[in-house]
Amino acid sequence: MYQQLFTFGAAFLGSAVESTEALTIVLAVGLTRGWRSPLYGTFAALVALAVLVLVFGQLIVQRVPESTLKLIIGTLLLLFGLRWLHKAVLRSAGIVALHDEESAYQKTVSELQGSVTRQDWVGFVIAFKGVFLEGIEVVFIVVAVGGTSKYFPEAVAGGLLAMALVAAAGVVVRKPLARVPENTLKYAVGIILTSLGTFWAAEGMGASWPLDFVSIFFLAAAYFGTSQLAVMLSRRRTFA
Amino acid sequence: MNFIRSAAAELIGLFVADWVQTAVIVAILAAGWYAIAGLHASPIPVLVALVVLLAGQMVWFTFSEARRSEKAA
Repeated sequence: MYQQLFTFGAAFLGSAVESTEALTIVLAVGLTRGWRSPLYGTFAALVALAVLVLVFGQLIVQRVPESTLKLIIGTLLLLFGLRWLHKAVLRSAGIVALHDEESAYQKTVSELQGSVTRQDWVGFVIAFKGVFLEGIEVVFIVVAVGGTSKYFPEAVAGGLLAMALVAAAGVVVRKPLARVPENTLKYAVGIILTSLGTFWAAEGMGASWPLDFVSIFFLAAAYFGTSQLAVMLSRRRTFA
Repeated sequence: MNFIRSAAAELIGLFVADWVQTAVIVAILAAGWYAIAGLHASPIPVLVALVVLLAGQMVWFTFSEARRSEKAA
């Protein structure tokens, strides 16, 4: 039960962050150049992403031996999570600027100013590219978290719910979701994915964790404590 | 072509920000795998060492980047 909830939560949070970034791009294109082409682009990207989830999800769950799967996905998840965590620590320490959806929106809008034809390929391609590239991260999180834990439907449900909620919020608000605490979410997801990656990579090596799945919470606490130490050291270094 | 290139770059960028750090992480995991599967070492000390080394490299590489950006400023 806890493992199912954890899988759902990890997929939901990771997907919510990436969906927020994709939404900013679609809104910028739609509000600047009209909605028809960017919506087609978004739809095409979502279909392509769904195919990726189905193909890789089935392939991974059915074809790859469990220990190999855990080692490979665990390693990739660890690399992915540590990259997010590294960036989140640098942002928390004030070394890298916080991600700002409002400025990302303004930047895209200024790039899109110009005449719009009936069949707006620029709007289509930018929306497709934005949703597809941000969506690749969602696909990886869902496939990695769901495929390795054997709770693939829960992971897919978490990813889909996050995308639906962000899309609904975008339709209601009609401007970038600047109030979503994106940097805090990325920090939390970085810790969760790093912990899951460590857990599965070690299981793939043939080790068994004491207390089994519960040890993920201890791993998360250890990574959180260490990342706070990294924030403190980097801050001191910068402001000394 | 441009799109495929940026998609490939994006895909690699999901896992690799700094090639040296990536190599260090993979080396830590390979050492852990060798200790458990090759040398049949007791798993608990290996797991503890694995977590300490992974957390340690994160602190080191973040601190190094902070130091580099301080020098550049």
